[in-house]
Order: sequence, then structure tokens, then C-alpha cells
Amino acid sequence: MSRKAIEQQARLLAKENRNAEPEITNVYWFPNETEVRLVEVLPAVPPSGDRVVPFYFRPQPADNLPAPSGIALVRPDEVRNLPLPKGWGQWEDAVELACNGEDDR
Amino acid sequence: MSWRDAFLRQARSENDLRLRLNDPSVEYSHRLHYLQMVTEKLAKGFQADPSEADPPPTSHHALVRLMQTLKGRPTVRRQLRFDDAIIFKQYIDSLLDLADRVERLAPSAAGTSQPNPEYPWRDPVTGAVSAPVDFDFPFFDQRDAKMIKFEKLIDQLVRIAS
Repeated sequence: MSRKAIEQQARLLAKENRNAEPEITNVYWFPNETEVRLVEVLPAVPPSGDRVVPFYFRPQPADNLPAPSGIALVRPDEVRNLPLPKGWGQWEDAVELACNGEDDR
Repeated sequence: MSWRDAFLRQARSENDLRLRLNDPSVEYSHRLHYLQMVTEKLAKGFQADPSEADPPPTSHHALVRLMQTLKGRPTVRRQLRFDDAIIFKQYIDSLLDLADRVERLAPSAAGTSQPNPEYPWRDPVTGAVSAPVDFDFPFFDQRDAKMIKFEKLIDQLVRIAS
């Protein structure tokens, strides 16, 4: 799958998630060739503990989600402070997506 | 079998057993115990990266976090027959406090001083020791509409999880 297709899905999920949870303040996309990787900031989420732990979802082509995805919710104070999952890179690698899933901030 | 498949398979089996325990002759604590275990395996299953050989990491509040994450999954919303994302959010939000209480039933959270459906505990005020089978767990009334809704949601999630 191309990076462009992954990015499109990342933006779609960012938009869907923000629509479902308007309290999401920021969405960070960690580019990867095969999987959509998002960290979303939600003040009302319980503390993560000692690391960012995503939930993983299989591809759902029927919903325009052809790539697998890993989604993590974190609190604002955890951004750039908690270690990321293995293979996700560093916080500096993240692309912040606008919550409407279209324009980067 | 992957860790993910194994956790979800275990969740399905424990959920089937939980439903079989829905009998007046069985102490409620056993059903509640299985409900807590099902939710734990369900959340662990979703935390397991299908492409990863290692087991999922231990994390806090996994069930509440899973439910908050599922609000934004269009596939889950569709499978649970919700057309409107906002109504689906309200449905999930209405159950988060109960999900938190269920998570706290785990022995690791309850310790030896809080009621839990698996191990005896000592009331810190009275000093009395209780066994789960003798306790009626008033915060988890199985006739309460919210509890019924929560159990139905967990049952549905276990069935659609893959």
C-alpha cells in the first residue's frame, strides 16, 4: 500500500475519531508503509501508565479502511513524555493532523 | 495462533461460560467474575499487535480506554447498528463509569480490602472478612438497565472482535 493511501486513511480516521469524540484536541500520525499509526490526545482519558499502548484494528475495506491501524489515546501531559510502541519511532517523527482530517496544523 | 487471536478466543469462551452461569442457582459473584475476566481478555486482545510476536504489554484502565477508542471506529459502530456517531458516543459514554468499576473488580485493583468477585476481603471499617459468594455486589445489580446494557455491549464486542 502506498504512503499516500496510508495517509488518506490516517486523515479519515482522524476525522472520524474527532467527529465521534469532539474533546480530542490533537492527532499525531506516525508514518509507516503498512499500517496507520495514530496517537490522539484526549484530556478525559485515564492515565496510560508507563508507555503509550495502542489498540490495533484489522483492515476494514468495507468502511474505506484498507490498512490495519493502531490507535492510542493519551492525556495532554503524556505527549512527548511517554515512550512510543516498539517500531513507531520518536515523537519528533509525528505529523500532526488537523482534527478535521484535512489540513495539517 | 497469534497473541491477539488467543486472547480473543479466550474472551469468547469465557463469555460463553459467563452466559451459562446466568442461573438463579449460581451465586452472582461467579458471573461477575467471568464478566471482569472477559473484559480483560477483550481489551488485551485489541492491545495485541497482530504482527507482533511478543504478548501485549500490561496497561492501566484498558477497558475504559478501549471503549473510548471504539467510539471512533466506523466499523464497530456499524456492526453495533448505530447510524449516528454522536448517539453512539453517548451510548458508550453512558457506560464508561460502569466499565471503570468492572475493571476495579480485578484482584490486582481490589486488593484485600475491597469487594471483588474472586477473593475474600476484609472490610477496613468493620474488620469483617467476606467471601464473594455471599456478597450481592449492589453496584453491579444485574437487573439494573445500565448493567444489562453493559453486559449486552460486552457480549456484542466479543462476538465481533477479530
